[in-house]
Amino acid sequence: MGLRKLWLVIERDLRMFIQYKFLLIMRGIWFVSQIALFGLIVNKMVQEAVADYFQYYVAGVTIITLYSTAMFIGYDIFEEAEHGVFEYLLTLPVSRRELVLGRSIGGGLRSFIYVGPLLVIVLFILGVSNPLYLLVALSAMFLFAFGVSGMSITLAVAMKSGDKYDILIGVLDALIVRLSTTMYPTLYMQKAIPAYAAVAEFNPLTYAADLFRWGTGVEGALQFSPLVGVLGLFIFFFAFTFVGVVFYERRLEGGNWQ
Amino acid sequence: MKAILHVLEYDFRNFFRYRWFIAGLIAMNLTDLFISAVVFTQMASASIVANYFQFFAPGLAVVGLFASAFMIGREINMEVRREIHHYMLSLPMTRTELAVGRVLAGGLRGMLYMTPLLITNFIVLRFPTLPQLLLILLTLLLLAIGISGVSISIAVSTTSFEKFVTARGVVYYMLFFCSSVFYPLSVIQVLAAKGLGPLVTFAQVNPLTNGSDLIRSFLLDSPDYIFSPLMLLNVAIFSVVFALLATFAYAKILQRH
Repeated sequence: MGLRKLWLVIERDLRMFIQYKFLLIMRGIWFVSQIALFGLIVNKMVQEAVADYFQYYVAGVTIITLYSTAMFIGYDIFEEAEHGVFEYLLTLPVSRRELVLGRSIGGGLRSFIYVGPLLVIVLFILGVSNPLYLLVALSAMFLFAFGVSGMSITLAVAMKSGDKYDILIGVLDALIVRLSTTMYPTLYMQKAIPAYAAVAEFNPLTYAADLFRWGTGVEGALQFSPLVGVLGLFIFFFAFTFVGVVFYERRLEGGNWQ
Repeated sequence: MKAILHVLEYDFRNFFRYRWFIAGLIAMNLTDLFISAVVFTQMASASIVANYFQFFAPGLAVVGLFASAFMIGREINMEVRREIHHYMLSLPMTRTELAVGRVLAGGLRGMLYMTPLLITNFIVLRFPTLPQLLLILLTLLLLAIGISGVSISIAVSTTSFEKFVTARGVVYYMLFFCSSVFYPLSVIQVLAAKGLGPLVTFAQVNPLTNGSDLIRSFLLDSPDYIFSPLMLLNVAIFSVVFALLATFAYAKILQRH
């Protein structure tokens, strides 16, 4: 496998992403509106239960944004199939595996690059109590972003309709975000319906969000060991990157995407 | 009128073709109510919201109405991208009839989808009297037509699916976060203290605020929600403005394509 060719595929995805200026600006507004509106208002509504819900939510919404940006690669795959770009990609002097792996890495990397500037704002709001913890948290977030990108590719190549993909992503988004600790602590999920808390314990968004809060010092202690969180995200990353690559590679042959 | 009815029939047939989409929307709405609302009920201060689940239920009807009325824009955006609009423009009807039919169809489809959610509200909260029910339905119909108008205006102005999806997300967040769908208007006042006063004003005039508070005024036994004819007037103005804008945009922009 040629690293140079792999890098060319990654570079193409990064360049394509930067072309979406309109979308990036709109998503930035989306991020800010979530923090400045929902975060501030709900902070007031739940102040008796959570001392500083605003900080809790800011960390959570960062992970939600990372997740939704990494999922974006799936829309690219549908757009390419619709406009006949797949055929062009297959004619390039790049092996199928290099193409697929490059796309998976590119998908994760561009989401991290996009979230980067937002992360600076978030760190300014939240502060950093221990740089080493933050480094561990950021590494875990890298794994999370690549895992989500792999999951998006897996789902995109498993479906033939862009509409169905959009619906599935919407439903998955609704479930995976709501059944995680991105928006509320496990304690209140446990109080509401214990099964929700049980599902949240195995949700990669929970690991990513809680590790990020721990890394920035928003939460002093984690409900799980940081090692368990990082390991959980590594398994998520490994499983979906591997599955995504295998699925995409098989789908490419014989015009299966059409 | 007959031409408009044909357009309505076409869009309703399309609506039932998207069974997966409808199922997906229902699932998303139910997760909002049965996961997020249930958890926030445990967290919300009783002094602000006595029972968040009951507070949010009318908001859910508006969320469902918004999502389903917005679907028409998704279809029109797809038609533009796949150049199906050439066929639509070749039909023996005027551009205005076609445009009005599409805006109305979007609104009526929203009403159809929202009905089970509204019935859930009646079961969970209480059944309204007949005049109250008629007022609720009229307000929601006007709201659905306005949302359909917003959706069509965005659909004909965006050239790719991602742009449409992102614009839909931004409109969704701006309209919903700055409204009383998720939290009471009294809590939104906190934004004024943070220098975001105009957003408080926006939340007060937001048709989604007026739509959901109107339902609450009839279904919640709370002195915080009292019906005012201004609520209906507000939604009616929103509806007329965006229905006209969408009709104009659809008829004119499609010709340019």
